[in-house]
Amino acid sequence: MHSYQFLDDIAIADLAFRAEGDSVEELFHAATEALLETLADPSTVAVTWERRIEHVCGALDELLFEWLSDLVYWKDAAGVVFHEADLSVVQKDTTWTLAAVLRGAPVDRTTQILHNDVKGVTKHLYEVKQQGMRWYAQVVVDV
Amino acid sequence: MKLNTDMRVNRVTDEVWEIPVTEKAGMLVPARIYATPGILQTMDRGVFDQVTNVACLPGIARYALCMPDGHWGYGFPIGGVAAFDTRSGIISPGGVGYDVNCGMRLIRTDLTLEDVQPKLDRLMTELFRRVPAGVGAAGFIRLNRGSFEGVMTRGARWCIEEGYGWHRDLAHIEEGGCIVGADPSNVSDHAVGRGINQLGTLGSGNHYLEVQVVSSNRVFDSETATAFGITGQDQIVVMVHCGSRGFGHQVASDYLKIFEKAMRRYGISVKDPQLACAPFRSPEGQDYFSAMNCAANTAFANRQVITHQIREAFATVFGRSAEELGMELVYDVAHNIAKVERYSEGDLLVHRKGSTRAFGPGSPDLPWDFQKTGQPVICGGSMETGSYLLVGTDRAVSETFGSTMHGSGRTMSRAQAKKSIRGEQLQQEMSRRGILVKAVSMSGLAEEAGVAYKNISDVVETVDRAGITKKVAELRPIGNIKG
Repeated sequence: MHSYQFLDDIAIADLAFRAEGDSVEELFHAATEALLETLADPSTVAVTWERRIEHVCGALDELLFEWLSDLVYWKDAAGVVFHEADLSVVQKDTTWTLAAVLRGAPVDRTTQILHNDVKGVTKHLYEVKQQGMRWYAQVVVDV
Repeated sequence: MKLNTDMRVNRVTDEVWEIPVTEKAGMLVPARIYATPGILQTMDRGVFDQVTNVACLPGIARYALCMPDGHWGYGFPIGGVAAFDTRSGIISPGGVGYDVNCGMRLIRTDLTLEDVQPKLDRLMTELFRRVPAGVGAAGFIRLNRGSFEGVMTRGARWCIEEGYGWHRDLAHIEEGGCIVGADPSNVSDHAVGRGINQLGTLGSGNHYLEVQVVSSNRVFDSETATAFGITGQDQIVVMVHCGSRGFGHQVASDYLKIFEKAMRRYGISVKDPQLACAPFRSPEGQDYFSAMNCAANTAFANRQVITHQIREAFATVFGRSAEELGMELVYDVAHNIAKVERYSEGDLLVHRKGSTRAFGPGSPDLPWDFQKTGQPVICGGSMETGSYLLVGTDRAVSETFGSTMHGSGRTMSRAQAKKSIRGEQLQQEMSRRGILVKAVSMSGLAEEAGVAYKNISDVVETVDRAGITKKVAELRPIGNIKG
């Protein structure tokens, strides 16, 4: 189970969301969906573009930050918005590995409902934490 | 007076307020906020916290400043001005802003409201077609790495060489549209990958292209207005607000990471990770400065290419060349930048983040035609309320490191704005009020509703009364393009 919500009062000129999930992987799914929704309505985006991405990181918060920053990078570099991302997050000893397939399509304002052009993920009030059995992340993105 | 801070805030004048160094451990200089009592009371807690954090940074000179359009930002407040000794001080991407050289450009025309009103719909459609906006938009110019390096090092000059503008445009751009010392070898491949297709694009958020009208009764200083090419008499002008797009953001993000590590090496501690910095004279500091200049030049080029497209659109719709339509550049100013400038303390690295340079008459940095007047200062308001053309003063140079406001400043978050109004509804309401809006994103449009911003007239009155800029003319929107 995972979910996300946009936050009203965290970043007055930008956008912030809180993501949560029952596991690290669910948390990553929630944060990914929040960022995809920030860019465009994923249900209006077809799948004609695909990219495999892998990251290895010692810190979980850095791994999420790098992954979300990847989405912003490919949005600009390939001129695409996203429909979905299949992803897995695995911990081995002290490292975390993310393997993902990002799917979407070139930006097309005639068929897609576009939202905000996110310029970057920031570390302002950024946090990833576990409370009880649930994982949470707070992310502020610069628009 | 109830303020959003527990710190002591002393009145200096009716428009200037000071937080003494005793209010926060580590403050090296006082913090000064330019605001009327009314504006000061609406400022969020972040302004007070952040401007005093900036006052703790090594090498800061005189005061940490915040302009009346100030609000919370990343590390530095938006509306922030801070100058650092170039020998002992720091440079911080947080003091420049992620959107390096986000700025304003104003283009005059000989057209009047009477000329444009019947063709406004066609004009806005043509502008919307020619100036890509919104998520993932790509420009019409195809660049390879080599030519993009030309953009990074030559800025608007590159555009003129390629035929996107007139040579005389350069004199009316801050720094002539080309900042020296830009070194592409200090820019990451990631940044290039994000920026190489974005030349000539508007972006989204608070960026816009606006067709505006200047009425005679809204010209406050006709002599200066005339010198700037503004006649009033329902004259049509075009305003552009955008910056270096994803490219500048990636440069800032890359160097924030580098500076996080560098700070440990140089023994610098900061109150907020977004204030990450390095000594200006350090290798890291110089590398960022040259990469930031690449982004600044790219932003000048971006606005220049957009200007070319605006001229083409007007020529298409009105059947006359842009030169025949008198589409001269009034001025182009940066409001997110760090530059070395000379003041009474010596050479200082002035960080302006959501603040505009405002040099007074006689400045050697101004072209001959603005020597008597001072520098044009372009301030964008919300898309519903209008914008202002101001002029720089000697007082700005002596009091605020030659700096003033940049816009109206938000008072409501994007998420709150979207809850209070729908984009389609706002578009219809604005149309009824005579403002034609073309937007890529209706939710993005709702976020930019006028209700989310301070009243720009209040902000302008503050800097006018404080004497750090003077009013020249008010510009009223009739057409707006948003990402």
